[in-house]
Amino acid sequence: MARKSSSLLGLANGVSHQLFHPVPDSAPPYPAKRHTKISVVGAGNVGMAIAQTILTQHLVDELALVDRKADMLRGEMLDLQHAAAFLPHTRILSSTELDVTAGSDICIITAGVRQMPGETRLNLFQRNLALFKQIVPPVARHSPDALLLVVSNPVDVLAYIAWKLSGFPSNRVIGSGTNLDSSRLRFQLAQRLQVNAQDVQAYMVGEHGDGSIALWSSISVGGVPIGLGHLANGKKTAEAAEELEEIRKSVVDGAYEVIYLKGYTSWAIGYSVADLVRSLVRDLHRVHPVSLLAKGSYGIPEDREVFLSLPAKLGSSGVLGVANLELTEEEEKRLRSSADTLWEMQQQLDLKVKS
Amino acid sequence: MEKVSSLSELGLATDIHRSLFRPIHQAAPPSPTKRRTKISVVGAGNVGMAIAQTILTQDLADELALVDAKPDLLRGEMLDLQHAAAFLPRTRILASTDYAVTADSDLCIVTAGARQVPGETRLDLLHRNVALFKLIVPPLARHSPAALLLVVSNPVDVLTYITWKLSGFPPNRVIGSGTNLDSSRFRFLLADHLEVNAQDVQAYMVGEHGDSSVALWSSISVGGVPVLDQLASDDNNAAVVMEQEVLERIRKAVVDSAYEVIRLKGYTSWAIGYSVASLARSLLRDQHRIHPVSLLAAGFYGIPRDRQVFLSLPAQIGRSGVLTVANLHLTDEEAACLQRSAETLWELQQKLEL
Repeated sequence: MARKSSSLLGLANGVSHQLFHPVPDSAPPYPAKRHTKISVVGAGNVGMAIAQTILTQHLVDELALVDRKADMLRGEMLDLQHAAAFLPHTRILSSTELDVTAGSDICIITAGVRQMPGETRLNLFQRNLALFKQIVPPVARHSPDALLLVVSNPVDVLAYIAWKLSGFPSNRVIGSGTNLDSSRLRFQLAQRLQVNAQDVQAYMVGEHGDGSIALWSSISVGGVPIGLGHLANGKKTAEAAEELEEIRKSVVDGAYEVIYLKGYTSWAIGYSVADLVRSLVRDLHRVHPVSLLAKGSYGIPEDREVFLSLPAKLGSSGVLGVANLELTEEEEKRLRSSADTLWEMQQQLDLKVKS
Repeated sequence: MEKVSSLSELGLATDIHRSLFRPIHQAAPPSPTKRRTKISVVGAGNVGMAIAQTILTQDLADELALVDAKPDLLRGEMLDLQHAAAFLPRTRILASTDYAVTADSDLCIVTAGARQVPGETRLDLLHRNVALFKLIVPPLARHSPAALLLVVSNPVDVLTYITWKLSGFPPNRVIGSGTNLDSSRFRFLLADHLEVNAQDVQAYMVGEHGDSSVALWSSISVGGVPVLDQLASDDNNAAVVMEQEVLERIRKAVVDSAYEVIRLKGYTSWAIGYSVASLARSLLRDQHRIHPVSLLAAGFYGIPRDRQVFLSLPAQIGRSGVLTVANLHLTDEEAACLQRSAETLWELQQKLEL
């Protein structure tokens, strides 16, 4: 059992026996069956926002944090522990070593290298690949039954890499994908329509980032489908398409705007990931747009082993199924095009791991 | 009322909501809700944002306003919170460098403060903070004359006094976060050692927040069992004799733990966020719960009535702020420590120009 901080300060052990005694003939305690452990790899702004939101929403019994920077990591752990009086009895651990993640139900990976000025996309991928080769195999080894949730960007390629390096079945590896993009879209629509964002059903799918696809054909509000005609106020198709594209771009730019203004994003991705975690640990069977193995869906060829965001039912065994929406031809075409681009990029990566 | 949103600038039709939803026949126009809870947070730094985010997660407000002097940072933080709309209950989030955005708040939380520059004396730092609070507190009070004011900025006890003076509010409506967090850290250490939930440990640190805080050892109980009494009367071989030295070491560990977090990660945020959200809940939901918070301590525990200083004491708090101060049994030593702190703070406050 972990060394108690108070024993370092001179308080004798065994004090608790003097304050409480068991009833006669008690059996020794057995471990609670529903002990949820979640590990967060990367204690930066994103990782900590996720950790804190998961804690505040009472989704976890044991939380492990991992980062390379020992001092910062310890500081973050202590800061969370000091809130303990206001939290349920949650154990918070941290280490620069990945063995602290052992026995996790979910491992959330937020670690990633930042793009250097002038660096090519391919070079960035290769540096991230090198990092994931250090992280993913040990994580998988320490928690062979876990769900892996990748948040680091570029999330679709990194989710693919995590899947390959872990050896896990595809249903157990997910990327946070367009779950947050969809929230941003729903927020904008909700403001305009004066409804609660939770009553707006709207998905952004495909590649997280500039190439994401807004499923305009599948938007409904309080169960009422909004036709494209409604959205564009009766304008002609080409003009309407242009305007809808403006909306999509503003959602994508929303992330860049926050990064430009405050240096990074944290709160929204924290809530977004906590929302996914809730569906996973509580086996809710709720539908979320997340990055998953997309081959065979929506006309994406079987040989295109790529991860893209699609609306999927999530539960304790990860991805339970991909939703069968009615996509327009244009939407399907864009998905297939994203799949091709990602596939070509991935071909250039060397995924062999030294054993 | 025509709503302004970026979508209208992008061409989205303005009347969609009317074609999707229709009011029932003979409906009266909507009456303004009387019970919208509004919280304003002044200072969108690490502490302010951790507080804002915890308040949002715990669904404590219908409206949250953020104020800071840095407009870009402020807008970025506001957008980051707004983008979580699909995952949060419907809380309206506003932000502005102008205090008008805080109007009609139920609770105003002040986290803004000057940071100590190397070589700067405590008094100089205080002078700078007084100058800052002169810009913050009067407009805050003017825009929300009925609000509760909760000061978090350090040195919290003096700054709460300053806030009280500058606001013109009655003292029950001006509170400092004080030793609420120190007590949490104290309870954490004890709970960890005793293997109980920290929420079942009743333990207070009182007085001045920081190096000279007072641990009320005589008042600790665990699940209703007073700790020191229990251990002293037991004939057990493993009985603990709580030596003064050990007690002091634990108290110092609590005080130092804040410095340790600052040394390791650069600042503290999560714990103070939870701590303040807990106070916000007790205040706004009129919980009548007891928290150690910084309040006008004149007349309590031997502190002279003319010593208008703010110190942390366990108090019952609710919708009108500080309701009562708990009447604990302090040892002579504990009361003497409080009185000494009161003198020190009083002398310091005399040197400030308000």
